[in-house]
Amino acid sequence: MRDRRRTALIALPVLILVVLAVFPFLWMAVSAFKPLSQLYTIPPRWLPSPPTLDNFRNVLFESNIPRYFVNSLIISVGSTFLALVFAIFAAYGFARFDFRGRSAALAFVLIGQLLPTATVIVPLYIVLNYLGLINTYLGLILVYLILTLPLSVWMLTGYFRSIPKELEDAAIIDGASQLGVLFRISLPLVTPGIIAVTLYSFVATWNEFVFALSFATEKEMKTLPIGLAEFSTEFDTDWGAVMAASFVMTLPIALIFLVMQRMFVGGLMSGATKG
Amino acid sequence: MTLRNINPGIWFILPTMLLLAALIVYPMVSTAQLSVTDANGAFAGMRNFNIAISAPSTRLILFNTAYYVIGSVVFQLLLGILAGILLNQTFAGRSLVRSLMLIPWVVPGIVAAMTWAWMFHTDYGIINYMLMQVGIIAEPIGWLTNPNTVMPALIAVNAWKMFPFVAVMVLAGLQSVPEELYEAVRVDGASFWHEIWHIMLPQLRPVLVSITLLLTIWALDGITIIYSITGGGPANRSMIFPIQIYVQAFEYFEFNRAAALSVVYFLFICVIIVLYMRVFAAQEKD
Repeated sequence: MRDRRRTALIALPVLILVVLAVFPFLWMAVSAFKPLSQLYTIPPRWLPSPPTLDNFRNVLFESNIPRYFVNSLIISVGSTFLALVFAIFAAYGFARFDFRGRSAALAFVLIGQLLPTATVIVPLYIVLNYLGLINTYLGLILVYLILTLPLSVWMLTGYFRSIPKELEDAAIIDGASQLGVLFRISLPLVTPGIIAVTLYSFVATWNEFVFALSFATEKEMKTLPIGLAEFSTEFDTDWGAVMAASFVMTLPIALIFLVMQRMFVGGLMSGATKG
Repeated sequence: MTLRNINPGIWFILPTMLLLAALIVYPMVSTAQLSVTDANGAFAGMRNFNIAISAPSTRLILFNTAYYVIGSVVFQLLLGILAGILLNQTFAGRSLVRSLMLIPWVVPGIVAAMTWAWMFHTDYGIINYMLMQVGIIAEPIGWLTNPNTVMPALIAVNAWKMFPFVAVMVLAGLQSVPEELYEAVRVDGASFWHEIWHIMLPQLRPVLVSITLLLTIWALDGITIIYSITGGGPANRSMIFPIQIYVQAFEYFEFNRAAALSVVYFLFICVIIVLYMRVFAAQEKD
């Protein structure tokens, strides 16, 4: 009985919470399918009737968004992969070996994750400029390692630590090299960690704004977030197109999330409770 | 010592450490150097700092930054704690609601910014329409163009974006609270509020202390939402420190001044972190 009364009591707050969380997202989706005449009306129309694909046609065929989409994809995949390669070695080193300065190095990695990006954009620009990497894929891929590498190392270290050391010792007694152990024994066992790190890095780089704004200024090299921000200028904004482009940009993230949701939240929760 | 004597762990972490040194340590040293030189590289003493700090807009920007950070963090925590406690209760459809609640956090920041900018639209925005229907306001408010409403509007966007993170952490924290604690007070006939106040919040304290620091740092670094919605306007009323660094560097091409601002900003953040650690580390000991 107590349970039923509780259910009734929390129904309203739960409803408010759901509306609050979902409504802006729905409003974006709905607006993306509205023709111009239905976007700019008072009172606003709740649903487009009939829904139109005009905004998507604009975005996909008459704007630079497809190019930005490809740029974002190349940069995100590149940086995610590069971070993963470096992080696998570093995390294994942190998890399996004890050496002087180990905890200091690990602390440095963690602090790197917290570094406010605005404090380093000026020197990074100068360095990239010197190396001829402004407005290149490689430039942003390298810079994005600041976002992806520290957390990848940190997370994978935890995963490697959870593997029983006896497994590795057994392989070493059987004559495997240290690298052989890493690739044949440990790496397959941390697959969930690899997937979690890959997803995290992809999402973080896909959404990144400040570095992209500063280091990719040419039309051919811009990424999706910058393209989206450019759509809305102060006086003349095609809101239907902005919402359609937002929809397009959210799709890959939504797909990743739908497929991996269980693990994503599960991993986060276990990390949080382990302390 | 020969190469063979070096612990193999060092070899594993070396590439990453070198890369991070190049990407983080070098730029920071370089920022410090740039901040005390002029455009030609000659030593300029504190001139860049003096110019940057004595600019008439500096006080407003500092105020805005504090306003934005404190406002964001307070509402992120409030909403997130409420949502976390709510989603820890048993009710039908709970796992669906838990997933739906994550939407704001999952949506890319720039998409959230654009969507809210459209909802805050003065003439055709859904927010003005709804508020007028309910009778809270008589005529449309220019949320993003009115100097008095622009910061609250931006804080609302940031609070919406990040509250699910707090909720997930709170939820995780609550799941580790032993059931016996609740049972003990329920025997005494304690109310739900009593449970929140005397069991949940004290148990959540360590989680909340660490996420507050994270939220603060993230809000301090919050360029995406503000830059893409208002660009710091109207008339600098939503300009915050990190955007000012970007503007100095890439719109005015005053790299040395931007570097000076970066140094000030970095020290500012360090002071906050150290103070925060001091206060809470001291309390933990009590």
